[in-house]
Amino acid sequence: MTTALETPPTGTLRDALVARLTALADDELLLGHRDSEWTSHGPLLEEDIAISNLAQDEIGHAVLWYEVRARLDGSDPDDLAFHRDPEGFRSCLLVEMPRGDWAFTMLRQFLFDCYEAEALPRLARSPYPPLAEAAAKAHREELFHLRHAGLWVRRLGLGTEESRSRALAALGVLWPEVGGLLAPLPTDADLVAAGYLPDWEALPGAVVARARAALGAADLDPGRDPVVPAVNARDRVSPQRAELLATLQSVARADPEAVVW
Amino acid sequence: MRWEVFKQDAPGKPHQAVGSVHGADPEHALLNARHVFGRRPAAVSVWVVPADRVLARTAEELAAEGPPRAAGGDAGQARRFHVFRKSSHRRSMTFVDHVGDVDAVSHEAALAAAIAADGPEPALAWWVVAADDVTRSDPEDAPSWFEPARDKTYKQQSAYGTVTPRRERGAAP
Repeated sequence: MTTALETPPTGTLRDALVARLTALADDELLLGHRDSEWTSHGPLLEEDIAISNLAQDEIGHAVLWYEVRARLDGSDPDDLAFHRDPEGFRSCLLVEMPRGDWAFTMLRQFLFDCYEAEALPRLARSPYPPLAEAAAKAHREELFHLRHAGLWVRRLGLGTEESRSRALAALGVLWPEVGGLLAPLPTDADLVAAGYLPDWEALPGAVVARARAALGAADLDPGRDPVVPAVNARDRVSPQRAELLATLQSVARADPEAVVW
Repeated sequence: MRWEVFKQDAPGKPHQAVGSVHGADPEHALLNARHVFGRRPAAVSVWVVPADRVLARTAEELAAEGPPRAAGGDAGQARRFHVFRKSSHRRSMTFVDHVGDVDAVSHEAALAAAIAADGPEPALAWWVVAADDVTRSDPEDAPSWFEPARDKTYKQQSAYGTVTPRRERGAAP
């Protein structure tokens, strides 16, 4: 027996799911790109390889989400990544910001991994199978990401005076932006009401609690909870998003007809 | 600090020395080993050992030095040692294979015991590692550390055909 939620949604629910999938994919793609900016610039060879692995993993997860979207609206993942204007992206500022120093990159990765550690198991329980399967696949790998980023949070927080001051400086910029990551899209409420996003209202509190516990163990106090807006439509193009996409898309747009890379 | 990395490709196969990583501490070294050596299939387990805690001897060194002294090191309680052996020059990606464990009072004593118990085929090199110098991946982490690699597709660099399509489009060189 199949329930209604196992079949692809139609109408406004379909549009809402496309929007949510776009936000999930765009966050992964842009974070993966920012991580990839460390390739050949890592602080030591092994960490250079590690951050490049993380970048590839995040971009791979973006592909998972774009492919679920493609089943709903027939879109092409490469086209969405390389030939969509910044206005069409639904990324949040947290993942758009430049890579900063190593502490900034690791703290950002850690905060995003905390979010995924809570969001992906929820999505894996979605009654819509393509969504649940993609979430389960990404979640497996994110546990290793969280281990790696958590290691760096502890070493930065408990390391030297310099590492600690860099970690706190990064946290001062990043922590407020967690609110923009966690705020729902305007149409998420429809998906929640229909049952596509299980336990979604509890997500912000769970992410903040998880991050606080790990930051506390590293003696890093982020201060007050980030303000989570009632909605974040993610439709405003930040200068950081525009700059990132100009780079990310430059090669593909230089030869739109190219079929082999 | 440099650490030697041992990777196991499948249950029942030996851990094999695959190279080394830098790491500030055991956990950092282990995660770096996973990143550097566990990214592509196949792995089910990685071990790291401080490089300066490995007793390594080639056949040539043993011939020049004479056999290891069984009574060397601390004359105390026996400890468990992992013994690794290089048996072939045909392998380019790995060095020594884990061939067994011995309880001994020192690295040298463990090596002497391993050589005494060895078969007729000549060993090319030996490594001896104290079991308690090894930091090991947790089997419970295998789903997140190693299994995703099985699903990853990748191209060998020779598979990228960027030159040929350009020529086909008629842009005369």
